[in-house]
Amino acid sequence: MKLSARMVVVLTSIGLLSGSFLATVGHLTKERIALNKQREIEEAIIQVVPGTASSQKLYEERDLSVYGGKDEEGNIIGFAIHASGIGFQDKITLMLGTNTSLERTNRLAILDQKETPGLGAKITDAESFLKYWENRDCSGVISLRKPVVRSAEELLPSEINTITGATISSEAVLSIVNRSLEYTRRLIKEGKLSREAQDVK
Amino acid sequence: MSNKTIGQEFIKGLWDENPVFRQLLGLCPTLAVTGAVINGLAMGLATTFVLIFSSLVVSSIKKLIPSQVRIASYIVIIATFVTVADRFLAAFFPPISKSLGPYVPLIVVNCIILGRQEAYSSKNTVGRSLIDALGMSTGFVLALLILSSIREILGAGTFFGYQVMGAWFKPWIIMILPPGAFITLGILLALALHIERRTKSRK
Amino acid sequence: MELVAIFISAILINNFVLYYFLGICPFLGVSKKIDSALSMGLAVTFVMTITAVVSWAINHWILIPHELDYLKIVSFILVIASLVQFVEMFIRKISPPLYQALGIYLPLITTNCAIMGLALLAALRDYGFAEAVIFGFSSGLGFTLAIIIMAGIREQLDLADVPEPLKGAAIALIVAGIMALAFMGFVGMIK
Repeated sequence: MKLSARMVVVLTSIGLLSGSFLATVGHLTKERIALNKQREIEEAIIQVVPGTASSQKLYEERDLSVYGGKDEEGNIIGFAIHASGIGFQDKITLMLGTNTSLERTNRLAILDQKETPGLGAKITDAESFLKYWENRDCSGVISLRKPVVRSAEELLPSEINTITGATISSEAVLSIVNRSLEYTRRLIKEGKLSREAQDVK
Repeated sequence: MSNKTIGQEFIKGLWDENPVFRQLLGLCPTLAVTGAVINGLAMGLATTFVLIFSSLVVSSIKKLIPSQVRIASYIVIIATFVTVADRFLAAFFPPISKSLGPYVPLIVVNCIILGRQEAYSSKNTVGRSLIDALGMSTGFVLALLILSSIREILGAGTFFGYQVMGAWFKPWIIMILPPGAFITLGILLALALHIERRTKSRK
Repeated sequence: MELVAIFISAILINNFVLYYFLGICPFLGVSKKIDSALSMGLAVTFVMTITAVVSWAINHWILIPHELDYLKIVSFILVIASLVQFVEMFIRKISPPLYQALGIYLPLITTNCAIMGLALLAALRDYGFAEAVIFGFSSGLGFTLAIIIMAGIREQLDLADVPEPLKGAAIALIVAGIMALAFMGFVGMIK
């Protein structure tokens, strides 16, 4: 066989074999991978909208998605806003649970972050940060309380506590939350957020 | 054709021709994922999988591949197994897949793998290629384990997630961050060279 | 504004070499003299920008519409390998002196994790076309910046009395560590 023909045959065969092998592997793993992603979101929704039995995606965009947490009868009992933004050095992804009027927070969960270990990374810690996010007034802008206070009682309803030594990471989370709340309110006003029960995941 | 014994083929990957410390290959993942031992181990195992299977395939079909297209062929073969490793981790070990991030797909450009195909698997039997791959992989995993142990113990006080340093120890956070990675590897390389020269001068 | 953020991030805050650890092989290998470092940096920037465009196109026009995500790694690396071949042939035709200067560095770019890393990160972050191009271009600039600074330092180091075991890669890595430390000062620039 001529050399150039042989080259083409060899490359094509390797390509085809590789392609079909990968198609098989891709197929076998596709569902599992999608399921893993879905499960991560669902677990976060259950965490931030207590009492959720099932969830429904109401809006999706690259860095912001809004989900509704539904009870057993299918009524939406709260929103879960899935948002990403820039942190101290890299991306922070979080999930904020609010009540159905977007006026009170339920809980905050940090899903992904690459902040400084031991400092900014404390944003994932309930004791240092997350517990101050429960039941906040978010009808307006949430603000950061500086200097840090010792107990949650000292905070105004629309304030959250900074983490000592990690102001920038705390502010980053705050800014992501405030921005996404404002954006979600705008989406509702423009009717882009469907509140109807349509099971689209 | 190689005239080492089977034992020597394996052992060379551990020290004499250790891919990281002596050949300076595969440094990107070595620096990137060694912040924690579990990540270093996972990356090491994933690379081992790719290296072993790529070497097996390449040495099985080496006579069929014309020399002009060999690099392209090796790349496709390697990329195939890297995809398998990446999909496997994403499907069955999602948290690890998340921590390792884009570095698993980057195994495809890990010079160790392409290097071994070019230098060894394309010129040796399947059996020997397997042993060579095992030796190199073990050497790579060892390098990752050493580096990640140092970084995790000093940088977080833990090993494999378990607390090993007492409360008196204030972690050197810098070890987990990029500067710590560079400096630790630099020191280890210098150490390796130093040991090599001392053993050579004794012979 | 988003584009400016990507530009500054890629060069200073999330520098490809000093933060993502991509491109270490050429970074250590070609950083001994400033002019070769500059040539390598420019070659890499050029290839990265083109790769950003082509990988975006492949991802958005072929892989995603047909749900062929599992072919991403294979297609990207093949594209990069061919691109580098073409760039090499192109430079050889257009400017033989430039080809002489860059010489052996070009084929090395194929296994440069930085190029593949760029394609993968842009796909991972789901960048649009403009974002991908800016990302590719500025990451290349970031790489060039890092490699030039390293070359400058190493040219000075050549005159200093470095202990034997540290010579070469070891001292280069330690210097890289100090550079990474310095670059950490840029963190927090973008809110």
